Amino acid sequence: MSFAADSRTDGARPRPRGALGRLMSEPMGATGAVLVALFIAVALFAPLIAPYDPLALDIPAKLQGPSLAHPAGTDQLGRDTLSRLIYGARTALAIAMGATGAAGVIGLALGMMAGYGPRWLDGALMLVLDSLASLPMILFALAVITVLGPSATTLVFVIILVSISGYARLVRAQTLGLANAEFIQAERTMGASNLRILFRHLMPNVVGPLLIVLSMDVPVVIMLEAGLSYLNLGIRPPVPSWGNILYDGYSSLRQQPALVIAAGVPLVLSTIGFTFLGEGLRDALDPRLKGGGP
Amino acid sequence: MKWSTDRRGFLAAGGAALAGLAMQPRFAWAADGSVLRIRLIGDFQVVDPYSMIGELDDILQRCCTVTLCRISDLREGNTISPYAAEQFEWTSPTTLAFTLHEGLQWTNGFGPVTAEDVKYSFERIAGSDSAWAYQFDMLDHVEVTGERSGIIHLSEHFAPFEVIALPYYAGHIVCKAATEAVGGSFTTEFPAQCGPYLFDKWEQNARVTLKRNPDWPLAAPAFDTVEFYLIEDDAAARLAFEADAVDFTRVNVAAGRDFAANLPDGAALIETASTTYVWLTINMNAEPLRDIRVRQAIQYAYDGDAVLQGAYDGLTERATGVIQPDPLYSRQSNLIAARDVDKARALLADAGAEGVTLNLYCQTDSTTLATAQIIQASLAEAGINIEIQPTEEASYWALGDRESGEDYKSIELVLMAFAGGVDPTENLVWFRPDQIGLYNWSFFDSAEFEDLYEKSLAETDREARAAMFHRMEDLMEESGGFVFICFEPYIAVHDAGIVPVILADGHPDPTRFTRK
Repeated sequence: MSFAADSRTDGARPRPRGALGRLMSEPMGATGAVLVALFIAVALFAPLIAPYDPLALDIPAKLQGPSLAHPAGTDQLGRDTLSRLIYGARTALAIAMGATGAAGVIGLALGMMAGYGPRWLDGALMLVLDSLASLPMILFALAVITVLGPSATTLVFVIILVSISGYARLVRAQTLGLANAEFIQAERTMGASNLRILFRHLMPNVVGPLLIVLSMDVPVVIMLEAGLSYLNLGIRPPVPSWGNILYDGYSSLRQQPALVIAAGVPLVLSTIGFTFLGEGLRDALDPRLKGGGP
Repeated sequence: MKWSTDRRGFLAAGGAALAGLAMQPRFAWAADGSVLRIRLIGDFQVVDPYSMIGELDDILQRCCTVTLCRISDLREGNTISPYAAEQFEWTSPTTLAFTLHEGLQWTNGFGPVTAEDVKYSFERIAGSDSAWAYQFDMLDHVEVTGERSGIIHLSEHFAPFEVIALPYYAGHIVCKAATEAVGGSFTTEFPAQCGPYLFDKWEQNARVTLKRNPDWPLAAPAFDTVEFYLIEDDAAARLAFEADAVDFTRVNVAAGRDFAANLPDGAALIETASTTYVWLTINMNAEPLRDIRVRQAIQYAYDGDAVLQGAYDGLTERATGVIQPDPLYSRQSNLIAARDVDKARALLADAGAEGVTLNLYCQTDSTTLATAQIIQASLAEAGINIEIQPTEEASYWALGDRESGEDYKSIELVLMAFAGGVDPTENLVWFRPDQIGLYNWSFFDSAEFEDLYEKSLAETDREARAAMFHRMEDLMEESGGFVFICFEPYIAVHDAGIVPVILADGHPDPTRFTRK
């Protein structure tokens, strides 16, 4: 018996069985995974990789073009742009992954509680989450930053607050779909506690779609951080952020265009990387696409 | 002929038309040649001289009302000449007689501009809580001697009176009847106008349009319409100028350097010294800065050369105070003339404040942010941690304002810049004790300073005045409340076909812009 009609399993080579294997077997997923891994490595090992202190001023060397000494040139205060971009990766990923990760964990917990808990709890949680969802992210961010002042903490707080709702709703929908599945019913019949059902059986089944959405949201948050920092509403100088490097580049565009180009490259690559990774994860974790044959 | 189009055809035709237009040199969005387009940074807030705040507030008053006299371009020595007054002369050391031009008429049926209007305009501000009351410190009263004539009586002789009080800010004359009719004050709408231009249209935070006043009896302005384009960002303003969307704009230091090296066809560059003084405010009322050793540590750790080179491209020199460079009136040097990081560290150690962290508030333009970051780096060498707080304009000006809450007592460091005047007292006035909670954000409270300020108003001997000014700036520096940074270079680009007039405070005077 064969399933030759499924084009994705056509050919001699079957799809790998593990999620990671499936992710790396697709060019898009592999590209995304490599780019994201690269950015994470750069962020983690920034002090080892960066050729200069990203905060060290060297005013006589300001606004230099790319050279062997400064491969991405220098900014208006003579700081090495490459070093600032490397440390900027640390800022961008810390905020983006930290905020989306925290929002994901909170959204996961709230979504499972809403989907598996009593109806009154579902109603109450949905009321709160719907209220949060009605906040437009940018306007809400601007309002909070105006009140609390710009900082990384404020930025993370805003991102968590406006992201929780979407994640919780996704998890709730998945949980509702699984709550009466046969394997859950069987667990209940065998006397399994709610906690066991939630953590051992529901969570592994709902976390996959959440991971995909989280991965897709990371570049959105990176761009939000960069955008707010560009407007001097995000990361405060002199902490390197791709957004404030972009602002410095814009201010010095005529004197040294390399600065704005250099700041744009990691933003583009990280967006591509996380988007491809999300797409790849979606394919890799989709149960309908699992396996290469019967 | 049958006319038909579709989306693709429309886009193609539109694109071709725009491309064709844009290929013309200095493509003009505002095609009307009688329009003068000036770029300014921010919108206006209050056009009542009593409570005016910013640049456009003053410029609108200059265009839509009158002053007794006016001051010449800052590049021509800031000389005074009569304006609304056809006659204007000192009749004694304390009396200044004036006669208004005939034919100056208020709009909205409020009749001619009268000496009574002058009296009302000046006396309602003198001695009041207006930030501009200092202009009339020496005013005793205005005597009305005829419908168009009067005598300004001073309490003591004060020669700079005509320069300080009359050509701008509180010197703008308002219509007594119209102002009283609206309750004694106004904000964004003139109750009556009498100037070369009349207010026409306000597109908030975008554009303000003025039209020529058809009933203006004095020399007609060169342009039918003046449009102020409100563009906060320097780089955007530069692009607007290069796209011929504005005729005149100030530019930042970096753009000025570019223009000096490569000026576009049909453009002209102005580079001159300005009266805008820049300094670091150190609030001696804020807890970590109450110890003078901490304040002095900041003064010693500050790297003036790095700021001048890094933020100002070496186009200006270290300021020795708030009085613009002058062979007589400005100090020769700062008391702390050279950087001494070791001394700064020692002072901090004495005060037990090693590793102190302070907030530095500043505005968000690129020059200011660069200055803040250099200060941050230089103070870090001495062990002072600085958290830069870039703050947008409206919030920034509320920082030290006692009307905005109690925070003004605890702000720590602020990068500040004020447009100065012609007489040194115009720059020093903001540091008097009564300005605490208004513009004296250092909480500098010196009885000797106040005494010298009062004396300097009455003193006629230039050498004696200079000695007073030097001592006043010594007191400021000794207090530890100030680091004097520089006087900003004034850099502007404009259409080479116009001749701008720029006043001592850096504000353009559109009523006197002319064509070549």
